[in-house]
Amino acid sequence: MAARTINFTLNGRAVTADVKPQHNVVEMLQTQFALTGARESCGQGLCGCCTVLVDGKPVSGCLYLAVFLEGTDVVTVEHLAGPEALDPVQQAFIEAGAFQCGFCTPGFVLMTKSLIGQHPDPSDEQIRDYLSGNLCRCAGYPEIVNAVKMAARKVKAGTTG
Amino acid sequence: MATTAAGAQVGRSLPRIEAREKVTGRAEYTHIMQVPGMLHARIFRSTVAHGRIKAVDVSAARQLPGVFAVYTSEDVRKVIPDPYYGPAFHDQPILAIDKVHFVGEPVAVVLASDPHVAEQAVQQIAADYEELPAVFDEVEAAENKIVVHDELKPAGTFADLKHLKGRKGTNIALDFRLRRGDVDKAFASAARVFEHTFRTQKVLHLALEPFASIADYRDDGVTIHSSAQGPSFVRTEIARLLGWPENRVRVKVPYLGGGYGGKLYIKMEALAVALSMLARRPVKVALSMEEQFYTITKHPSTFRIKSGVDKDGRIIARKCEIWWNGGAYADIGPRVTQKSGFTAAGPYDIDNVSIDSYALYTNLTPAGALRGFGIPQLVWAYESHTDMIARALKRDALDFRKLNLLREGRPQATGTILKDAAIEKVLDCIADRLHWKAPFDRGSGTIRRGRGLAVALKAVISPTTSVAIVNISADGSTTLYCGTVDMGQGSDTAMAQMVGEVLNVPAETVRVVPRDTDITPYDMGTLGSRSLFHMGHAVRLAAEDARARIAALRREVGEAEGSNTPLVDLFRKRYGMQAGNIVGTGTYKPDYIPPDSEGLTTNATPFWMVAGSGVEIEVDTETGQVRITRLINVADVGRPINPRIVETQLSGASLMQIGFSMFEKMQIDGGQVTNASLADYKIPGIHDVPPIIENEVVDAYQSNGPFGAKASANLPHSGCRLRLPMQSTTRSACA
Amino acid sequence: MTPFELAEPASLKEAIALIDPDDPDVRPIAGGTALMLMMKAGVFRPRRLVSLRKLGAGFAQITATRDGGLTIGALTPLSMLEHSAEVARHAPVIVRTMRRLSNTRVRNVATVGGALAHADPHMDLPPVLIALGATIKISGPSGERAMPVEDLLTGYYETALARNELITGLRIPPQGTARAVYYKVTAGSADDWPALGVAAAIDSDRGTVKSARIVVSAATVKAMRLKSAESVLIGGKPDDKTISSLADAAVKEADVMADLRGSASYKRELLRVYVARAVRAAMQEVA
Repeated sequence: MAARTINFTLNGRAVTADVKPQHNVVEMLQTQFALTGARESCGQGLCGCCTVLVDGKPVSGCLYLAVFLEGTDVVTVEHLAGPEALDPVQQAFIEAGAFQCGFCTPGFVLMTKSLIGQHPDPSDEQIRDYLSGNLCRCAGYPEIVNAVKMAARKVKAGTTG
Repeated sequence: MATTAAGAQVGRSLPRIEAREKVTGRAEYTHIMQVPGMLHARIFRSTVAHGRIKAVDVSAARQLPGVFAVYTSEDVRKVIPDPYYGPAFHDQPILAIDKVHFVGEPVAVVLASDPHVAEQAVQQIAADYEELPAVFDEVEAAENKIVVHDELKPAGTFADLKHLKGRKGTNIALDFRLRRGDVDKAFASAARVFEHTFRTQKVLHLALEPFASIADYRDDGVTIHSSAQGPSFVRTEIARLLGWPENRVRVKVPYLGGGYGGKLYIKMEALAVALSMLARRPVKVALSMEEQFYTITKHPSTFRIKSGVDKDGRIIARKCEIWWNGGAYADIGPRVTQKSGFTAAGPYDIDNVSIDSYALYTNLTPAGALRGFGIPQLVWAYESHTDMIARALKRDALDFRKLNLLREGRPQATGTILKDAAIEKVLDCIADRLHWKAPFDRGSGTIRRGRGLAVALKAVISPTTSVAIVNISADGSTTLYCGTVDMGQGSDTAMAQMVGEVLNVPAETVRVVPRDTDITPYDMGTLGSRSLFHMGHAVRLAAEDARARIAALRREVGEAEGSNTPLVDLFRKRYGMQAGNIVGTGTYKPDYIPPDSEGLTTNATPFWMVAGSGVEIEVDTETGQVRITRLINVADVGRPINPRIVETQLSGASLMQIGFSMFEKMQIDGGQVTNASLADYKIPGIHDVPPIIENEVVDAYQSNGPFGAKASANLPHSGCRLRLPMQSTTRSACA
Repeated sequence: MTPFELAEPASLKEAIALIDPDDPDVRPIAGGTALMLMMKAGVFRPRRLVSLRKLGAGFAQITATRDGGLTIGALTPLSMLEHSAEVARHAPVIVRTMRRLSNTRVRNVATVGGALAHADPHMDLPPVLIALGATIKISGPSGERAMPVEDLLTGYYETALARNELITGLRIPPQGTARAVYYKVTAGSADDWPALGVAAAIDSDRGTVKSARIVVSAATVKAMRLKSAESVLIGGKPDDKTISSLADAAVKEADVMADLRGSASYKRELLRVYVARAVRAAMQEVA
């Protein structure tokens, strides 16, 4: 089937990509933009390794057809850190030791970013519910919950101070 | 042995040195790696469990536009005439030859630039099999009524497997036997005898980064990028298959998105190399999550355990018979069978022990090592058995254990003396935290509560070798070259800390070179909790060697003893400019005495691993649903190199084990896995985490360990004790 | 996934015309979360997909009607229901159900219409909507029709829709004083697909049950009402004995199936326990 050209915003820049209907967001990001922070693992939207933000909302890149990105604003994990500093969420994940192998980490980081956007001071229950669709086979869940709380504190301190 | 005094780096809870790469999504993994010009492979797999291949029709697939090539074993044999591989047996063909031995076995491969086209072409391949009777159960397999392989082909690498060479008509890949004392006589004199049988189910590693290998074959050499836990072994095995010297095979391993024992030895590498040879293009073999179910799993097992107890409650005899369901190819099953056999009788002081442990071929997905080399299966059984005896004798489960516990200085079943193994300390610590001797609220109504504890002992795989190089550049900066694969256990960080400790530099300034067999020296493999001890020693020795050479350089350039002239100035003085290197090397291989024909040896292991768990649970008596309300993990890791990472490991390993204990199971129907996806094979998620988790490392020191450490960053089997408390407390809660 | 063609019509009429009623390899796609799973697993290999995403925002709205009910466009993402103040006010059970319905990312993409048309008996929304007495609006080549959700589901992944009919909207009638609960019962991990779903919507007046809708899902081939259980309840003041005979009736009526998540006999026991728990919880909410 013929490729078509789509236009969208990727990590703050207007971009175009040539995609075929069967291409999902993850493979487009990897093959056309060399962005590998979103990666396919379970292929079923259950593990969250493929998380990207589309128009500010987290979606599973492995279940999202690339052609549907036309006209959207896409953010990947690569966009979070600035040239000098990491995003407070990333910093919190490091300080809390919230990962081992790291394969699932970009997904958790983006989900946390989105969660804190919605709930600046999330409860344990909100954290667990929001992240229940992200799997960590190394099972760093207790550390991840700590990291989310630490990130929320960092974001709050950053915005008020 | 620890000649280096404690300094500022060992014992630091330093964040992982690769942390920044991992949180920014920049860390490299083979599965997401691309090589210019590479082709994608998609595999056509067997749909029968045991059958003779009558025909494989690839003509339609070959004609599909966009398909580069379609290959079967016929093609593979043109470039690799004897394409069988494996660590213990050379039994696994790169693509099935003549027969298929399990559902999911690779039979043919399509290559295409577009993976979607390759997938479409795979759908158009058809195979015709003459189905043969298949055997799935390990105990049935031992009867040899249905034989999986016509002839056994031991690799010959391991002395203890050589006697099986050329053996026909059997499914037994290895039989380990241990005889200590006189078991029959002891049973005859016992006051009570107990016998139970335990079976474990088939589960898998399920790393979130599925298996992936990329091979780029050229006439003068081959480069392999792979998600491998043992790059040195991959190099040796590929060189053997190609008939090449090892220096023409380069294996590069970035970070691993989880390994847990699954990515050990050789997996997709041989296939990727063969395909690249045929296509003369780089080829990537990256599996899907589903395909992991057809690659390697944990061993299902049957464990028949019998104990004789005297009138005082002392266990005087124990007989263990274990059948390991190794699946269609041996992989490392024989090692699992033998090494776990050493400690199959548990952490107890028993004078009369008999152990028979059998590695069996069946027509299922092959089985290998998964966090503990068979130990978790055994611990669940022997600790359940312990509780069942205690209950029958109306003795407290803790008191009964303490009465029989193996203590420091006493011979373990193999005859090796127990040393630096804090079994009692671990057990006491769990009991204290559970307030074992205090009254326990057993619940009321439809919610009843229960609790349990368990403890385990493990020997490390031995003898194995590690080599490390420490390089000091002329500006004084330090680089470590070692082949230990960091798959999340934090080895890069721990090794950097040990280098920093010896050379008195901050660990975060030590560069740890990614594994590359052209650059990093030999290491037996990142497995069985051996790395921190073995590679730790090699790294320590390399750093000490470098330190001695720095001292020599100081003397050479006329510096006074104890001067603190910066390193860069020493190099300048010596070479007239910022130039030169100091290279320190270290090699470590512990002493080991192989077991004799009775399974006995006075040196079975350079160190013992000890860990235990305690849990409290709730049971809904109307539905049988169980909830873990509290989980306690305690381990003896010697002296922790990085306490934070150790705690993360203990916690993570135990939570992974919750999946194996509570709900993970490969459902198999006629050899076909019926739940080969994360939708149907569930692993623990964030809602499965118990509300209370406590992790503790007991105060201990491994006297022959590097800096007093042993299996620090990877003491994964600790959580495995969970199986027992789960079962026993469920029973007591429901009683 | 194997290659296919994608059409992106801008109107409902165009969309319906693009779906060939005789070709099972042509299907509509909205959020696509469920369809993509089937495509990735190779269970469904489409020739053409007809995307409904460009049909306009009019199909992705939630409106409170004057009578206290709700109308919801078929393309409304589940997360919109989750965060809607109107839904929270008129059908709070839906908001509570969302917490454990798949996950955040899927809810951001999956649509109400898709959740119904997919007809997977393990889904959480259909039993809840049946308990609430919801109806759907359907468009096809010959015009519009309406249908209760309970009539839409005809079997395992089967609906009463013709291949070229599309669900366009949902109506949830006013609930008055009735209260609803939904129990998702997982037998393995906490976030597994349910072994059993039970929804109950009950209205009562000083302890006397005026109306009851009790729905089973996941353990049966489709989400379905258990009318014999309902009838045990209606008109009386339920006590332990009533609830016990209601549970018996439910177990007798439901044709429970075994699957990976449990044997039929175990699921029948789960149903017996959870239908009682659901009814008790709903009764408590009404009171």
